[in-house]
Amino acid sequence: MLKVRLRSVLTAALAAAVLLSVVTAAPAEAQPKEVKVAVIAPLSGPWARQGQLMQMGAEMAIDEINEKGGIKALGGAKMKLILVDAGDTAEKAKNAAQRVLAQEPDLVGGTGAWLSSFTLAVTEITERAGVPMLTLSYSDAITERGFKYVFQTSPTGGTQARAALPTILEMAQKATGKKPKTVGIIMDNTAAPVSFAKPMREGGLQKLGLELVVDEVFTPPLADATALVQKVRRAKPDIMLLLPTSVPDDKLILEKFNEFKLGQGRIPLIANGAHIGSPELLKNVGPQLLEGLMFIVANWGVKGQEAIIERFVKRTGEPWITQDSMTAYGDMWILKEALERAGAADSKKVAEEIRKLDLKEGPAALAFPGGVKFEPNGRRAGAHLVIVQWQKGKAVTVYPAELAVAEPIWPKQ
Amino acid sequence: MGELGWFAIDFLQALITGLLVGGTYALMCVGLGMIFGVMRVVNFAQGDFLMLGMYAAYYVATALGVMAVLGPYVGPVMAGLLAGPAVFVVGWLLHRFLIGRVTGVAAVGAEAEGHYAQIILTLGIALVLQNGGLILFGSLPLSIPTPMSRESWEIWEFLVNQARTVSFGVAIVVALLLYAFLKRTPLGKSMRAAADNPEAALYMGIDVDRCHRTAFALGCAITAIAGGLIASTQSFQPYIGFDFVITMYAGVVLGGLGSILGAFWGGMTIGLVQQLSALMLPFQLQNTAIFVVFLLIIFFRPHGMFGRSAERT
Repeated sequence: MLKVRLRSVLTAALAAAVLLSVVTAAPAEAQPKEVKVAVIAPLSGPWARQGQLMQMGAEMAIDEINEKGGIKALGGAKMKLILVDAGDTAEKAKNAAQRVLAQEPDLVGGTGAWLSSFTLAVTEITERAGVPMLTLSYSDAITERGFKYVFQTSPTGGTQARAALPTILEMAQKATGKKPKTVGIIMDNTAAPVSFAKPMREGGLQKLGLELVVDEVFTPPLADATALVQKVRRAKPDIMLLLPTSVPDDKLILEKFNEFKLGQGRIPLIANGAHIGSPELLKNVGPQLLEGLMFIVANWGVKGQEAIIERFVKRTGEPWITQDSMTAYGDMWILKEALERAGAADSKKVAEEIRKLDLKEGPAALAFPGGVKFEPNGRRAGAHLVIVQWQKGKAVTVYPAELAVAEPIWPKQ
Repeated sequence: MGELGWFAIDFLQALITGLLVGGTYALMCVGLGMIFGVMRVVNFAQGDFLMLGMYAAYYVATALGVMAVLGPYVGPVMAGLLAGPAVFVVGWLLHRFLIGRVTGVAAVGAEAEGHYAQIILTLGIALVLQNGGLILFGSLPLSIPTPMSRESWEIWEFLVNQARTVSFGVAIVVALLLYAFLKRTPLGKSMRAAADNPEAALYMGIDVDRCHRTAFALGCAITAIAGGLIASTQSFQPYIGFDFVITMYAGVVLGGLGSILGAFWGGMTIGLVQQLSALMLPFQLQNTAIFVVFLLIIFFRPHGMFGRSAERT
C-alpha cells in the first residue's frame, strides 16, 4: 500500500518538475540560437602547441564579437567555438572532421588544420558537406583541386618563394655591394617546404642568377644535423634557405651552424614559416643564434595591428602574436562578416557570402594586410607576404616597407 | 686536398657523430633490453619513460636549481643522471600496482602467458603518459639550456659536439656500472637467475617478483637517463617518445632479444648506420638505411648479433 502511494507521489513530483522546467525554459527560447564555428587543429601530438596558438586567436575574436553584441543580422546571436582535435596524423584529422560534422550538423564554418597535409585531408570532408573552411596552410595543392568551400588566406608556398627571394637578394646587394651567386637548401620533405622549393628548383633560382650548391632533404624528426651542415661547411654558399617545419629541427640545425662556425650571420639564413619566429624557439636557442635570421611568412604582427597585438599579449601572456593566432583571429572575423551578410546560420549561404566578400577595413581586414577578397579558386587576392627578421631577441616585420616595424639589417660576414 | 682526402674527412666526421649519437641510443636500448631480458615483457611505454626522463632532467636542472648551483656545464649532466632515480620510483610503483599483476608469477597459466594483457597494459600506460604529459607539462617544446649543445671541441679538421661527447661518456659509464651491478652484486646475480629460469630461481629461494620489479624500475631509469642526457641537445614535447621507440626496438632486436650487451651494441649500430648512410645515400633515406641493415642482420643472424641460437632451457 505504502509502496503504491510512494510511487504516485514520486510520479506527481516528477510531472511537476517537468512542467516547471518547461515553464522556466520558455523565456530562454527567446534568446537567438548560438552560431557554431569550428577550429580543427592539432591539440594533441607534436603540433599541439600550434593548435593552442590558433585556439587563443580564435577565442579572442569570438569574445570580442560576442561582447560587441554577437551577429546582429541574427538578432544578436552569439558565436560559439567548437574545438576539434586534429591529432597527429592526416587520418586522425580527417576523422576529427567527420566527427564534428556528425555531432554538429548546424556548423556554419571553420578554420584549420595548420599542417598542410592535415588541411588537405580535412577539406576533403568539409567540401562534401558544403561547410566553408578557412586555412592558413601553405601548400599550393590545397586550392588546386577545384574545391568550392576552401579559402586559403596565406599566399601559397610557391608564391612566397617566387615573391620573396628577389626582394631578399636586393637587400643583400644593397648591404654588401654584390649579388649573392650561390645558394644552399636544407629542408624537410613535408608538404609546405616541398611546395616552397619546387618553383625554385625548377628554374626559379636560375632566373635569379643563383647556383644551387647544397641541396639536402631530410625526413623529420631530425636526429642530428652534422651531416647536413658538413655539406654547407664544404660548399660555403652565399645564402642559405632553411626550410624545416618544427622547433626541434630548427634548434638542431641552427646550433650546428653555430658549432661549425657558420652561424650568427656568417652565412645569411633565410627560413620559411611561423615556427621559426615563435617565442619557444627563442627559449630553446637563445637570441644570439637567431640574430639576423630572416624568414618569409604569410602573416605576422605588422604596422596597424598594434591594438590587436596588445590585446592578445595582455590576455594570453604570450610575448608576441604569431601567424597561427593572428590568422585564426582574422578567420573568425571573416566568418562573422559573412554571417552578417548571409542573415542565416546556413553553411552554404555563408560560403556564398565569403566568396563575395571585399573587406578593406574592420578587424578581418586588419588581420589580413591587403584586405579580404577571394579569387574564384579560393586563394586570397593580393595576399601579401611578410619578411620578418630576428633582431635583439624579437621577431620583427621588416618587409614590405609599408607594414614594417623595423629596418632590415643584412648580416655582414 | 684531393677528392679522396675530403671523403676521408667526411667519413671520419660521420663516424665520430655516429658513435656519439649511438652512445645515447645504446643506453636507451639497454633499458628496454633489460626489461625484456629479465621479465620477457615487451614494454610499449618505454619511449614515454624516455620522455619522463627528459622532463625530470629539465625540472631538476631548472626548477630545482641544479643548473644554478653547478653551472651550465656540469648542471645538465647531473640533472640527466638525477632523472634516473626519479623515473626509477615511477617504474617501481607502476610495477607494484599494475605491471606486476599481469607478469611473472601472476601470469602463470594465463592465456599466451599473459602477453596479451601485457601488450594492452603497456600500450595503455603509454597513452596515459603521453596525454597526461600534455596536461601536466604543456605543449611547449623545451630543452635544457646549455652552451654545450652549440659548441664543439676542434680536433684537427673535426668538430666534436660538446654536449654529445659528454652524454656519450656518461652513457658508457652508466652502462658499465649496470654491467658490474648484474655481474657482481647478489641482487644482480639473482636477477640473472630469475631471467634464466624463474621457476628454478624460485625454488632456490630467490624473490622473483622483487627481481622483476627491480629490473622494470631499473630499465625505466636507464632509458630515462638517456633521455635526460638528450634533453640538453634536443628539444622535446610530451609526444617525443614515439620518435625514439622504433629506434629502441630495432636496436634491441638487432642486438639479440634478451641480451643486454646485445642491446648496447644494437643501439650503437643504429647510431653508426644512421650517420654513415648519409655519406652515400640521400639524407632523407637515413631511417630507411637503418631498417635495411636491420633486415640484413636478421636475415643472416635471425637471433640478432648477440642472441643465442638455442632457446633458453
